[in-house]
Amino acid sequence: MRRILLLGFFVLASAIAFASAATNFSATVCCEKTQTGAFCQNVPSEVCASDARQTPTACESTSYCKPGTCYDSNEGTCLDNTPQIVCNANGGIWSSERPAQCELGCCMLGDQAAFVSLVRCKKLSGFLGLKTNYDPSIGNELACIAQVQLQDKGACIYEFEFQKTCTFTTRAECEGSSKSSNGSIQDGVFYKDKLCSAEELGTICGPSRKTMCIPGKDEVYWLDTCGNPANIYDASRWNDKDYWTNVKDKDASCSPLSGNADSKSCGNCNYLLGSFCRSASFTQTRASYGDFICADLNCVDESGKARKHGESWCLSDERRKLPGENSVGSRFFKRICVNGDVITEPCEDFRAEECVEDSIETTYGPFAQAACRVNRWQDCLAQTDRRDCENTDRRDCFWKEGVTLGNTTIDATCLPKNSPGLNFWSGEDSKVVCGVGNKVCVVKFEKDLFGNEKCKDNCECLEPGWESKYGEVCAALGDCGAKLNYEGKRGFKEGIQVKINGKIRETS
Amino acid sequence: MNKRGQIAIFVLVAVVIIAVFVWFVIRPRLPPSLGGADVNPSAYMRDCLRAELPPIISKLSTQGGSLAPDNFMTYEGTNVQYLCYTSEDYVPCTVQQPLLTTHVAQEIRREIEPKARSCMDALVARYEQQGYSVESAPRSINVSIVPGSIDVVFTAPLTVSKENAQTFRQFGISQSSELYDLLMTATSIIEFESTLGDSETTYYMQFYPDLKIEKLKKDDDTIYTLTNVVTDDSFRFATRSLVWPQGYGVQS
Repeated sequence: MRRILLLGFFVLASAIAFASAATNFSATVCCEKTQTGAFCQNVPSEVCASDARQTPTACESTSYCKPGTCYDSNEGTCLDNTPQIVCNANGGIWSSERPAQCELGCCMLGDQAAFVSLVRCKKLSGFLGLKTNYDPSIGNELACIAQVQLQDKGACIYEFEFQKTCTFTTRAECEGSSKSSNGSIQDGVFYKDKLCSAEELGTICGPSRKTMCIPGKDEVYWLDTCGNPANIYDASRWNDKDYWTNVKDKDASCSPLSGNADSKSCGNCNYLLGSFCRSASFTQTRASYGDFICADLNCVDESGKARKHGESWCLSDERRKLPGENSVGSRFFKRICVNGDVITEPCEDFRAEECVEDSIETTYGPFAQAACRVNRWQDCLAQTDRRDCENTDRRDCFWKEGVTLGNTTIDATCLPKNSPGLNFWSGEDSKVVCGVGNKVCVVKFEKDLFGNEKCKDNCECLEPGWESKYGEVCAALGDCGAKLNYEGKRGFKEGIQVKINGKIRETS
Repeated sequence: MNKRGQIAIFVLVAVVIIAVFVWFVIRPRLPPSLGGADVNPSAYMRDCLRAELPPIISKLSTQGGSLAPDNFMTYEGTNVQYLCYTSEDYVPCTVQQPLLTTHVAQEIRREIEPKARSCMDALVARYEQQGYSVESAPRSINVSIVPGSIDVVFTAPLTVSKENAQTFRQFGISQSSELYDLLMTATSIIEFESTLGDSETTYYMQFYPDLKIEKLKKDDDTIYTLTNVVTDDSFRFATRSLVWPQGYGVQS
């Protein structure tokens, strides 16, 4: 005589939930403008504004919402993926292919460079009062920067209002260039690697006790009496005639291997080491000379660890760190050290994104970098092979032995490493998802002549660990089962039900 | 001179000194004179418009560059315009506001123009009250956002004559602001969002040491706040791009 025991493990779910997920979708149209004011959206027809055009096709296929390049002839910039109507309505010039005006080249702006379009170069040169110096044959940004760094720099001597004066500039700017502000550099004579304060040049410029920051440069520089930059600020060399005569490299200046953050005497800041020229009002420290200092941009993180400016790292409010055991409401965060402050960038909520972190070795030590990346759990349950499941190039899953979901014969299941969050407090979606974790186990008993029962089939379902094992599976599917939230609080419901022969087992 | 006379002189001198002192202290706060030869229309227009510009810029900076956002999300009680938006899931956003700098300049122009005109009308009225004959030509206003400043130029040819005639053409105000660089960075972020569905904020830090970018993902939206750490100028905007719906994307 045989007896059959139906042991059911149910997670927030019932078969009805599957049926309720059926949805009616209305046909979408490409809408020129929605009622909320969004342009070129693929939305249901009724969402479209009454006076807007709509076509029953994707926006990419329409004439008015087709994405293309929008050219701003005023700024000389190009913006891709802009719908035609949006571009034209804002005064841009739209084209389906990238126009010739958007071709990039090297724009030299004194001792700086920008890899931009010709019109943009003219605009930038105009802002700085420089002649346009554009080379379209230079095909990448690095070559463009290198081109500028090769330029000779030095003192440019010229007569201005009957006085021999000087500007520290490039050879190209000096020879044959014109100076704005009502006068021009007539026949400028260029002295390579000489400073305007050099006595031997006999100009009206000389050393001063003032300092300055130069746009695009990390360091604090001495300023001469004509307002030109001299060498990197070094208080100990204020009286050094050679230091006010010849251009010195960064390496030949004070403490070149250090960032010199908050140093009173050395302005050899290094952005990569976390220091940058700033007004002294930014720090507590005053420089021995001048009003500028190497400000400390580095930070200390939540665990007291020193972090460099620009470093980023991961943080999570997860209570348990094991695969598939995420707390309800937990989230990943990316933290970044910026200008002495630590800012927090939350990754996508519901654990749709996870934070990944690595460290690169630099000449100045390890440098941590983190990023929010899409949590690729979607096809975990479809994997039936362990290698496919644990292929981190394709997905973020883990292989759990000894559990079976669905009709598969494999005694293991592939589950999300970081279980997705669910909007379980509204709608029926979570019932559908969590219902996947339902498990029915039919245990067969055999009764002997004396009435003693002995388990014959699926006896493992009676073992004490069976329920918790499937509880873990449910937890890994999403915000299912009996879980704690990220604050460590238990939910208002049990989360799981165990039925024996259709009757709910009372929980203690 | 008797004692009473001396005291009277001392008191008189003290009153004169105090009056001179008070005059120098409060003079900068007085509106520019419109009386007779001291009339300075440029200074009058500058003072009349100067206070108008900061609140407009502040409003635009927190609302994504629009004074009255239409397609927006609400953050900290403020409506923030979406500059890139998609109503769909899993796809990058569609650019909603190209030529951002031009758009913001137009918004400033639209808001400040009525005030500029009323300032000009007040100036003309004051001249006429003082017996001047005033001739004015059609007026126009131009706002330009450039690196380091926002410039407002009010072109309003004005000829005032009594005994002599004086002609004025333009009146301008300028406010130092790093908004231009912030708008260019916002445009670059929009391009990343519309192409890749996301942006990497630390990328910009390599090139712009003064820039701080705060990126906050809230529900399906991303709110960007760009700040110049030196000047504290900021610009905030919103995007909705490459949204991953919660859970398994089951639609109910």
